[in-house]
Amino acid sequence: MAISRNNLLAAGLIAPLFVVVVASFIVPLLVTLYTAIGNPEVRQTLPLTTGALRDWNGEGLPPEAAFAAVIAELAQAQEGQAIGQLSRRLNFEQTGLRTLLLKTARAKETLAAPYRESLVALDTRWGDTELWQLLKRNTGTLTPLFLLRSLDLTLTPAGSVAQAPKEDAVFLPLFARTFVISFWVTVLCVVIGYPVAYTLSTLSQRAANIGMALVLVPFWTSILVRTTAWFILLQREGPVNALLRGLSIVDEPVTMIFTRFAVYVAMVHVLLPFVVLPLYSVMKGLDPVYLRAAASLGAPPWQRFLRVYLPMTMPGVAAGGLMVFMLSVGFYITPALVGGPNDQMVSYFIAFFTNQTINWGMAAALACLLLLMTGILVGVARLVVPGFRLGSVSP
Amino acid sequence: MHDPIVTFEQVTKSYDGRTRVVEALDLRLARGEFLTMLGPSGSGKTTTLMMLAGFEDPTSGTITLEGKKLNHVPAHRRGIGMVFQNYALFPHMTVAENLVFPLQMHGVPKAEIEPKVKRALEMVRLPHLRDRKPTQLSGGQQQRVAVARALVYGPKLVLMDEPLGALDKQLREELQLEIKHLHEELGVTIVYVTHDQSEALTMSDRIAVFHHGRVQQLATPAELYERPANAFVASFIGENNRFNGTLAARDGTACRVRLSGGEEVAAAIEADLAVGAPVVLSVRPERVAIGAHVSADNCFAAELLEVIYLGDHCKLRLRVAGSEAFIAKVPAGDPATIAPRGTPLTVAWPAQACRAIPPLD
Ligand SMILES: Nc1ncnc2c1ncn2[C@@H]1O[C@H](COP(=O)(O)OP(=O)(O)O)[C@@H](O)[C@H]1O
Ligand SMILES: [Mg+2]
Repeated sequence: MAISRNNLLAAGLIAPLFVVVVASFIVPLLVTLYTAIGNPEVRQTLPLTTGALRDWNGEGLPPEAAFAAVIAELAQAQEGQAIGQLSRRLNFEQTGLRTLLLKTARAKETLAAPYRESLVALDTRWGDTELWQLLKRNTGTLTPLFLLRSLDLTLTPAGSVAQAPKEDAVFLPLFARTFVISFWVTVLCVVIGYPVAYTLSTLSQRAANIGMALVLVPFWTSILVRTTAWFILLQREGPVNALLRGLSIVDEPVTMIFTRFAVYVAMVHVLLPFVVLPLYSVMKGLDPVYLRAAASLGAPPWQRFLRVYLPMTMPGVAAGGLMVFMLSVGFYITPALVGGPNDQMVSYFIAFFTNQTINWGMAAALACLLLLMTGILVGVARLVVPGFRLGSVSP
Repeated sequence: MHDPIVTFEQVTKSYDGRTRVVEALDLRLARGEFLTMLGPSGSGKTTTLMMLAGFEDPTSGTITLEGKKLNHVPAHRRGIGMVFQNYALFPHMTVAENLVFPLQMHGVPKAEIEPKVKRALEMVRLPHLRDRKPTQLSGGQQQRVAVARALVYGPKLVLMDEPLGALDKQLREELQLEIKHLHEELGVTIVYVTHDQSEALTMSDRIAVFHHGRVQQLATPAELYERPANAFVASFIGENNRFNGTLAARDGTACRVRLSGGEEVAAAIEADLAVGAPVVLSVRPERVAIGAHVSADNCFAAELLEVIYLGDHCKLRLRVAGSEAFIAKVPAGDPATIAPRGTPLTVAWPAQACRAIPPLD
C-alpha cells in the first residue's frame, strides 16, 4: 500500500515534467514528421474531384464528372482563399501548374458543359493524361515527394522514383556540406578546447574561476551579437585586415567575410565553451594518481598523456564533441551572416522553405532527414569512439 | 650495511616553507630488505615515499639510489615500482593490458612480454582474469593486479603506500602474507607504508617508526616491541602500561625508578639519562604475573576492577600504584578471571620486562 502510494506520489511529481517533454519535444517531432509526408491539399480543397478520380484507372482521360468537379471546386477555392495553398503545392510537383489552376478558377463563368471539351479548349494541358495522373496521385493522404526531393530524387508522372533534374539537385550536396562543416567545427573546437580545459584544470581554484569566467563571457551576449561582431572584424575594411596590412603581412585586403573561413571562425568561437566545460569537469575529476602510477611504471610524459590521460579524458571529448556537433548541424544565423552562398547549411534552407516559399513540407522533410542522419552519425560514432562507451573515468 | 640500495641523508621536506613535514631524515635501506614506515596519519610517511619515488622534491638533503644521487631524476627514469592505496589500475585497460604497459615502457622485446605477463598473473594467482577490466574485479583482486603490475618489469625497489588500507581485515591478513612471500621469492627490496602496527610487525624485516616527520626508532619488529626507544614507540607498538617517575638510581642498564606515589620499581634502561631525570616506565600486559604468591623484582598490591573476556585470553583491569588503567593479560581459565570485582591481588614483573624510557617531548 505504502509503496504504491509513494509510486503514485512520485508519478504525480514527475507528471509536469513528462507533460513538458511531450508537449515541447515529442508532439512537435511528430507534427514535423507528419508535415514532411502529409498531403492534405488536394483532398481538402478538391473533395469531389478526389471522389471522381477514385474509380478512374489512369488511362486516357477521367470521366466528365471529374472535369465538372474540378471547375466547380477550383472556383469555390478561389473565393475561400484555399487556392493559394493548393496551387503552391501542385506547382511544387510541376512548375506551371499554379498559373493553370488560377486561370481555370477565374474562367468558371466562361465554361459550359460538356466540361471536358471546354476545359481542354481553355488550356490543352487539361487534355494531358499525365496531369490527371498527377492529380490522382495527390489525392492520397501521404506523399513521399518532399522526402525524395530532399534526397535529390523525384517522382515521374507515372509514379516511379527518378533522379531530380540537375538544377533541383542541391540537397545531397547541402547535407554533405552541413556535416563536413560540423565535423571540422567539432574537430577545431576539441583541438582548441582541450588545451584550454587542461590549463584551467591545473590552475588554482581562484585562477580557474577567472579563466572559466573568460570562457563563459561569450555566453553573456546573444549569438546574433557575437556573429555580427565577427562580421565587423572580418570585413574588407575591418580591424583584422587593417592589422594585417599594418604589419605588412598583406598588401591588399584579404577577403574573409562571406567565406567558409569566416563561418569556421565564428562557429568555433560560438561553440568553444560547449567543449571546454565537459572537458574541464572530466579533467578536474581525474585522480592524478593514475599519472603517477604511469610514471612509476616508466612512462615518459608524452606516453603518460597518450596512453593514460587522453583515453581517460575521452568521455569529456566525446560529450563536448557530441554537443558541438549537434549544435553545429543546426546552425543558421552564423553561416547566414558571415558565409557566402556556398557556405549555407541545411537550416538555411529550412528557414527558406518556411519563410520564403511557404513550403512546409520541404522544410519538415529537410528537418526530419537532418535529425535522422545526425542520429545515424552519432550512433556510428558511439561504436567507433571509445570514450562514448567508457561511462566512468574512475573506478 | 656496506651496500645500501637507498640512502636518505638529512632529508627535509616542507610544503609551505614553515612546517617541516619530514625533518632531517637519515635512513639506509639494505638490498633485499622489507622495510616498513609505520606511524600515525600525517606523520610524513607518504611524503617520504613520494620523495623517493620522484613525485616530490626534498627541500634539502640528498637521496641516493644504488649510489647515484636522485635529485632531479624524473620519476619515470628511477625504475622504482609503486603500489598505491587505491590501486590506480588504468580503468580503460584490461588486467593484461595493465601489465603490458610497464613492459612496453621499459622497452621489453615483444616476444618476451606475453610470458612475463603470464608469469606475473600466475604469481598473484589471477591468470583467469586477464581480460577483465579493473572495475569488474573485487578490491583484493585489484590490489593483487596492482602488485603484479609493479613487479612485472622486475624493479629492484618497490614502494607500497598503505596498499591494503581499503580492504577488510581477513583479506588484509591474507594479502600481507602473499606480499611477504613474493618478497622472499623475488628478493626485491620493498618499502612499505602503513599505520597498522600489527601489519608492520607481521611483514617487516625492519620498521621505521615515524612521528612528526622524524624517525623515532628504526629496528627489527622484536627489538621495537621489546625495547622501545621512547614513550611514543612504546605506546604506538602494542599495548603497554605506563607510569611516570624519576630516575632514582642507575647502574649500567639496571636502574630504579621512583613513582609519583613514592613506590620504587626496578627496571632496565638504555637511554642516555642521568639520575633525577623524568622517565616513563613501560610494562607489557603479557609480562605481568598475577597471584598471591608470585615473586619477582617488582611486586605490587592490586585490586581487580574489571575482567575483559577475549576468547583465548582475558584482560584484567587493575588498580596498581595509583593507576586505574593497569592491564594484565592472563590465559582464559586463570582463577583471577572468575574472581569478583574488588578482589585484592598481587601483580609482579621482572626488571627486564620493565623499561625506563625518555618521556614524549
Ligand atoms: N601536497 C601537499 N601539500 C601540502 N601539505 C601536504 C601535502 N601532502 C601532505 N601534506 C601535509 O604533510 C603532512 C604529512 O603528510 P603525509 O606525508 O601524507 O603523512 P602520512 O602519509 O604519514 O599520513 C600532513 O600534515 C599533510 O597535511
Ligand atoms: Mg599517507
